[in-house]
Amino acid sequence: MITRGGFPYLLPQLLDTAAECFPEREALRFFDQSLTYEELAGRSSSLARLLVEQGVKKGDRVGFYLEKSLEAVVAIYGIMKAGAAYVPVDPLAPVSRVAFIIQDCGLRHLVSSETKSSQLRQLLDRRVALESVVGVEAKESLPVRCITWDEVHQTPPKAAAGADATEMDLAYILYTSGSTGDPKGVMHTHRSALSFAQWAAETFRLSCEDRLSNHAPYHFDLTILDLFAGAAAGASTVIIGEDVARLPASLAALISEERLSVWYSVPFALMQLLQRGRLESRDLSALRCVLFAGEPFPPKHLSQLMRLLPHAAFFNLYGPTETNVCTFYEVPAVPEDEERPLPIGGPCSNTELLVVDGEDRAVAPGETGELLVRSAATMPGYWNRPEQTGRAFLRRSATPPFEQLFYRTGDLVQQDADGHYQFLGRKDRQVKVRGFRIELDEIEVALLAHAQVEEAAVYLRPNGEETVSIETAVVAKTGTPPTSLELSRYLSDRLPSYAVPNSILIVDQLPRTSTGKIDRRTLRDRALSARST
Amino acid sequence: MPTHDVKDVLKNYLHEELDENGNAVEVREDDNLLANGIIDSLGVLKLVSFIEHQFKVQIPDEDVTIKNFRCLKDIASYLETKKQQPEVEG
Repeated sequence: MITRGGFPYLLPQLLDTAAECFPEREALRFFDQSLTYEELAGRSSSLARLLVEQGVKKGDRVGFYLEKSLEAVVAIYGIMKAGAAYVPVDPLAPVSRVAFIIQDCGLRHLVSSETKSSQLRQLLDRRVALESVVGVEAKESLPVRCITWDEVHQTPPKAAAGADATEMDLAYILYTSGSTGDPKGVMHTHRSALSFAQWAAETFRLSCEDRLSNHAPYHFDLTILDLFAGAAAGASTVIIGEDVARLPASLAALISEERLSVWYSVPFALMQLLQRGRLESRDLSALRCVLFAGEPFPPKHLSQLMRLLPHAAFFNLYGPTETNVCTFYEVPAVPEDEERPLPIGGPCSNTELLVVDGEDRAVAPGETGELLVRSAATMPGYWNRPEQTGRAFLRRSATPPFEQLFYRTGDLVQQDADGHYQFLGRKDRQVKVRGFRIELDEIEVALLAHAQVEEAAVYLRPNGEETVSIETAVVAKTGTPPTSLELSRYLSDRLPSYAVPNSILIVDQLPRTSTGKIDRRTLRDRALSARST
Repeated sequence: MPTHDVKDVLKNYLHEELDENGNAVEVREDDNLLANGIIDSLGVLKLVSFIEHQFKVQIPDEDVTIKNFRCLKDIASYLETKKQQPEVEG
């Protein structure tokens, strides 16, 4: 980790310090384009100044809505240098969801690109209160102030952050699936993100020689490590486009050609690489550290991967977006026939864990309970959701004025004999599908909003050991019942594509438990037996 | 099969496939299929097995690359070169 240039307390200071120490080193690479630290620092400062000239001020939120690119990272730093918090908007999200996020956190300025012109027009048709869009040419169809990247590059850089900026200020908001039907914004401060980035840089011994992957999209918290732990070390981050990320053969070639030394992704991406990336024929000798998070990694596949990469260290990182990462586990050699799931390990530094029963009483070691987390890397709360924020924390009193806030992860865990925590499942109906975090309730709420839907039940159906699919049974209101296709289209306009059920069945009635609740287990069992016959 | 027919068959396939996902859009022959969310990782696998079945070809994993599968045009020219080369083992 770089320590020159003073103690960093704002995220963009990581970049500016790296630019001082290693101006010529490659900060970012994307296909055949790259930016040195000096260039990235300069461009983001120019964007910051331009945003300030547009009226952006301390405490504002500014969004970015574009594909993986160098510009996206310029936006991340530029927005923060303007004193605002950045809000990554999933470039593949339906327009209605984008509009919701813009309204929910009051975005008035967006960094976007020409590829999003048609979506931008649809957003403006919905009368979202946007004042300016950076990254697009002015055109009649876009009644908003359009600013091109050329104009950004011609703007002189803004001076470093003013004296009124502190580590307690909001740095970014990541929107995640919400059980009430609307996405909710997880807020992080400079301090919570820096605390995590610096822990990661130190724990994985990142240096300016490292080349990190940036596999996840920017609205996923995995990118916090890719970008900020990378900058903390003066390392290079290789941005992986959405298309390459979906093609294991191209992805494996990229790891080898770019000489990536640190990989971080969901296990699904690594399993795809293992199954279709022809890893055995590639030179992966530079890869020294493989990090994964987001969902359990089936041990059998992990064991195969570890044998292909005998020189690399493997780490299972765990933590909801709300906490960044709060536990980690360095994976020792895994036997080929291992069936026990991998532990999530023990706490990161600056982190206190608590396992409680249904009455918030600490359980004895070895007993099952909900994992609660108190750490410097934990969010202060959800954007504009005081009630949900209140429910998210256990407040434990200490000597006044101290009070300890523990984030309730909703994950059930158990400590094993070695002291490692094991993840056992969820308390609620949040699921992970290929690493995507989805509230099944959000899908039900969306379906129930359809005029012809009386009842809806969403459940998961396992497809073998690796994947699950989301399925739905719907009871229609009397009259003309909607078709599965209509409902599927309806949901596609409202939910991210990974949350749209793979199958929607129209049924006469839903099975009920003896207490009258919808029996989703029976639905799942029926789906399983229907497919196997 | 001429190249334009290959593209039409794939266009139809994608249209039906996307329609099932409630996402029907007209796919143009040079649209990036993967970056714009037209198909996801699982969609790639389905597309590959459709092509193998439809055009009676074997597509090895290492051929499923950005060069060959970025857009319909690329897939068509990949299949064209494949037809001209005899199957080589390994």
